[in-house]
Amino acid sequence: MITFRMNGLEVSAEEGWTVLEAARFYGLEIPTLCYYEGLSPYGGCRLCVVEIGHGPKSKLVSSCTYPVEPGLVVRTDTKRVIAARKMMIELMVSVAPSSKVLQDLASQFGVTKVRFEPRREECILCGRCVRMCAEQMDGKAIGFQQRGYKKKISTPFDLKSAECRLCGGCIYVCPVCQLRCQGPKAETVLCNGCLAMDPTCLDHYEDLQCWMYDAGRCGTCVREKTGSRP
Amino acid sequence: MAEKKKLRIQDLAKIREKTKALTTIRESEGRAKITVHMGTCGIAAGAREVMEALLAEIRKNKVQDVIVATSGCAGLCNREPMATVEFKGQPPVKYADLTPQKIKKIFAEHVLCGRLVPEYALAVGSETVY
Amino acid sequence: MKHYRAHLLVCAGTGCVSCGAFKIKEALEREIRKRKLQDEILVIATGCNGFCERGPILMVHPDGVFYQQLTLEDIPFLVEEHLIKGRPVKKLMYIPPAEKDPIPRMKDIEFFKHQRLVVLRNRGRIDPEKIEEYIAFDGYEALAKALAKMKPEDIVAEITASGLRGRGGAGFPTGKKWAAGHAAKGSPKYIICNGDEGDPGAFMDRSVLEADPHAVLEGMIIGARAIGAEKGFVYIRHEYPLALKRMAIAIDQARDYGLLGEDILGTGFAFDLEIVTGAGAFVSGEETALIASVEGRIAMPRQRPPFPAQKGLWGKPTVINNVETWATVPNIILRGAKWFSGLGTKTSKGTKIFSLVGKINNTGLVEVPMGITLRDIVYGIGGGIPDGREFKAVQIGGPSGGCLPAKLLDLPIDYESLTEVGAMMGSGGMIVMDDKTCMVDIAKYFLNFLRDESCGKCVSCREGTQRMWEIVKKITEGTGTEADLALLEEVARTCKDASLCGLGQTAANPVLTTLQYFRHEYEAHVLDKRCPAGVCKALIRYVVVAEKCTGCQSCKNACPTQAIKGTLKDVHLIDQTKCIKCGACQEACRFEAIEARREEAIAIV
Repeated sequence: MITFRMNGLEVSAEEGWTVLEAARFYGLEIPTLCYYEGLSPYGGCRLCVVEIGHGPKSKLVSSCTYPVEPGLVVRTDTKRVIAARKMMIELMVSVAPSSKVLQDLASQFGVTKVRFEPRREECILCGRCVRMCAEQMDGKAIGFQQRGYKKKISTPFDLKSAECRLCGGCIYVCPVCQLRCQGPKAETVLCNGCLAMDPTCLDHYEDLQCWMYDAGRCGTCVREKTGSRP
Repeated sequence: MAEKKKLRIQDLAKIREKTKALTTIRESEGRAKITVHMGTCGIAAGAREVMEALLAEIRKNKVQDVIVATSGCAGLCNREPMATVEFKGQPPVKYADLTPQKIKKIFAEHVLCGRLVPEYALAVGSETVY
Repeated sequence: MKHYRAHLLVCAGTGCVSCGAFKIKEALEREIRKRKLQDEILVIATGCNGFCERGPILMVHPDGVFYQQLTLEDIPFLVEEHLIKGRPVKKLMYIPPAEKDPIPRMKDIEFFKHQRLVVLRNRGRIDPEKIEEYIAFDGYEALAKALAKMKPEDIVAEITASGLRGRGGAGFPTGKKWAAGHAAKGSPKYIICNGDEGDPGAFMDRSVLEADPHAVLEGMIIGARAIGAEKGFVYIRHEYPLALKRMAIAIDQARDYGLLGEDILGTGFAFDLEIVTGAGAFVSGEETALIASVEGRIAMPRQRPPFPAQKGLWGKPTVINNVETWATVPNIILRGAKWFSGLGTKTSKGTKIFSLVGKINNTGLVEVPMGITLRDIVYGIGGGIPDGREFKAVQIGGPSGGCLPAKLLDLPIDYESLTEVGAMMGSGGMIVMDDKTCMVDIAKYFLNFLRDESCGKCVSCREGTQRMWEIVKKITEGTGTEADLALLEEVARTCKDASLCGLGQTAANPVLTTLQYFRHEYEAHVLDKRCPAGVCKALIRYVVVAEKCTGCQSCKNACPTQAIKGTLKDVHLIDQTKCIKCGACQEACRFEAIEARREEAIAIV
């Protein structure tokens, strides 16, 4: 058992756990995107960053790839962490505004403006599809090509793949393929519709139904808040 | 050095010995420096042959720690070919009216054994210091 | 060994080779054979001499005379005068700018005088393709000492005591890394030499590999002994063909002599290595990305821990060090940690090689003790700024480093002092800029480089560099706003904070340092729509100054788009609709009658 500190609490974890796994075990919420249970961690989306260390030497690391070590000091919601998370979401929404997952994250973390020219590429290169195909479906049909701003995911030489068995695993795990609800301002870069609404679900349900879980499914969010938007 | 056998530690020092000429010349750290004066007058009088004879002696005796240099006319054109022998820290010695035989003797006596050859010497000391 | 009375050392580093050094060498050999001097005079090709501004370069020994900027026509005269008649040729020697008399001896020239050669001790002095010449100058003595007289722990202790820090950029204490590698459990262990020098303007590692590959090999064999590795890899980028060639020759010769392979020097120690060629990515200079590349995978970094010293190549303990670091090791072992730690500052020991390039008189490669000031390098060794222009900034550390202004010229160079002011030692690239350089344009240049070279794994770097570049581009085109400046800074800070590897974490440095020290230039671009240095094409307009124009028509003839109208002896006029802002007219004018002025207004239609 390895003991370390998280958000001021002394916690224990098994050797080989990552900081993310330990945090989830203790019920601490850390948002993730490229992380998917059952697939190897990638550390690319930078949403799960946490701040480790003290003072001027403290730094941000992705908790999904950082192994727990004795004496570690982790803080999951510092100023730097929040600023980083918000910027990552803003950058990703500008690339893939049609993704429900990203729009929900934007509302969840208070990202209310996207100051970049949208590119609408609809792929944020989280790599979930690549890892799903290689690790769970044993297909290895797709992979990363090129680097930097030209990076994309495709089959070797963009040719029709002989390995692909059309299982649909890649589509299943893709966060962008989960399309956003066609609520108010559906064609904008950033919707934030849920932020403007008054959840009416509590009139009908015991538990809150909105963007923390499944946005738009219950169909009861119909009242718009009066007054100015946040 | 052509045969490539696997080296042992002591072989490193042996190679250094064999290549001592390299350090001598490239670091300008010779025990002695012999300057053969080769202005147009010197060459006309036979300085090239003197130079060749000197180099042959050096090779024959496998000497690694002397520097051979050339320079322009020394000034005394009717006494050419001339050569100057300088040891570190000592005043230079000018030799005049040289021939290949004379330079051989000067090399054997002065450069190898440190004994000046007075019958060929012109002067001791000059404005240059090595 | 055949005795030659004179050795001619022709500099054959890549810089001089591209100026025709091999042709010069052939011409020398031809002329010497013609004069029947081939038994008296030896001609060899060495690695980079360092004074790249003045190539092709020739050193004549034992005289120690330095010849520069040679042409093929000079050779017969040089051989006749210097080698036969003994009269060194003054007109081929180095004359400092603003002076009249040549300086014959290399050791008296300012550029060389202030340098302290440790890693580069053999530069310009040996034929890198002959192992015997390396041995002649105490080569492999350090290895003999390490294998015969020291235990692996002693070697690690000596390197730790010397205070040597990694020369690749981060400056991590080498002794600490070796100790971790030594203590790590796992077998086999590997060592790797990182020769993937990617910074634009940096050629330190290239020069070491071309001039003295055996120094790197010796360091690696010693390191392998210290750590307990039996296999090593020398990773050289494929853009360095001469370095690859010379390293391959060096490795073959070392193997022939039993310095690599089984039973090295008869001590029973076995170690061998091979060359791995890079595939054209700047990011593969990052440790974990390099390991991925050696393994045959795409070069993308991964987070550490676990560190390569514990789990590196193929999951085994691996110690990676930079070319310069490896080449320093034999010096430390031979001359002692105490000697090494006597050079430099308290926290940064020893010497460092810098490639001094850009707007500087003496472009070249310099090795100086740590702690020397920027001013001494730029003005003392570098000889100041050419054409009488003013110093504006010096970029240190490549795209990961920062631009430092004139007020920091008296900063002593060491790892900590540079990080404190927002820059970084980096691998040692030093680009000097004059007052005709636009700092916003420089930021754009480096961001363009980084967005292309980013591996693309993490959002903060991939999207961050792309978006930062877009914003800076907007600013150079005159459409930037104050909000853009604020956004630029925000993206820069996040990119620095959240990125996975060193590339991303330092990608924002060019932006952050130029914003810190040259904010007024950004503001001029954004608020005044003006480029003070006259570089950003969209923000300048070339106009003819009527009072100075003599109507000579030089500009009209120089213009590639026929944008200048005017008849002989009449004041000329530039048609702005045709002008492509190439500046050819300004260069052609002999009366300084053409000025680059700020755009009056940019109409957005």
